[in-house]
Amino acid sequence: MTLKFRDPELPPLSCAVGHGRVLELPLITWLAVVWVLLWGNLSWANVITGFAVAVVLCLLFPLPSVDLGLRLHPLGIARLVVHLLWDMYTSGLKVSRQMFDSRPYRAAVLAVPLRCRSDLMLTATAVAVSNVPDGSVVEVRRSNATLFVHILEADDPDAADRARRSVWRMEELTVRAFGDRDEIARVSRAPRPEGGGR
Amino acid sequence: MSGWEQTADTAGAVLLLLGAAVSLLGAIGMLRLPDVLSRGHAATNPQSLGMLLVLAGVALRLRSGIDLGTLGLIGFFQLLTGPVAAHLVARVAYRTGHVGREGLLFDELDEQLSGRPPADGEPR
Repeated sequence: MTLKFRDPELPPLSCAVGHGRVLELPLITWLAVVWVLLWGNLSWANVITGFAVAVVLCLLFPLPSVDLGLRLHPLGIARLVVHLLWDMYTSGLKVSRQMFDSRPYRAAVLAVPLRCRSDLMLTATAVAVSNVPDGSVVEVRRSNATLFVHILEADDPDAADRARRSVWRMEELTVRAFGDRDEIARVSRAPRPEGGGR
Repeated sequence: MSGWEQTADTAGAVLLLLGAAVSLLGAIGMLRLPDVLSRGHAATNPQSLGMLLVLAGVALRLRSGIDLGTLGLIGFFQLLTGPVAAHLVARVAYRTGHVGREGLLFDELDEQLSGRPPADGEPR
């Protein structure tokens, strides 16, 4: 077993084991924490078996090692959480109003090109958008980083603009919570008003 | 039982009821809305809000450290996996043409998938 904590080819805080297998310590720690929480009892036995199970899992089911580019910005995360909770509240109200509205409405599918390009940011934004009003993600295109959202009440002329703006705002909040400096610089620029090929 | 424990219990019960009511609202929405994609809205948004309220209610009743961690874990995984499931349902529904009887008002995904010019207001 060769420990290579400072190997630039490996993700941070991981060590190579045997033939190209990589143990990522953050992942193992997270799995052990989940194990302890699932048992609901913080004892040495649980912690040790948790780490043992995590190591065995990582060896049996190796994940492709990717550089997630995950950064944690505490202030950004707090703002994201507050906005998410508020948006979930308002979107709950909005959907409730729509379901008791007897007026027929027309739905539509809207393309929203995002400014960030990394896989992690794209995924996180899509998950966040699912929780805001007018956010039901139908399709994600990785090649041009575009989200396709299904919106209700598309016959309201402002609805499409509002939905686009809310997706872009959610993207900016997400990137400011988890993105690296490059991505944050990207989302600080104004979004392009029209969709299409980037 | 001291005063603040009583208060926490009552607040927890209120949150539980509220969460159950919000989840019920989501279920009613799934019955009332006409097509799969619209039902997706009712299935995800009120449900996750109701789930968070129920978890907060349970947390106020349990009030012990490691249980709060477990509840947080439940919330985290629900918020992370719910949108994935909703997205897959929506994606399949869209691709099999279940977009409602009246069709979509405009569809910017179809333009990119088929390369056709936009058909304004035409049902798919």
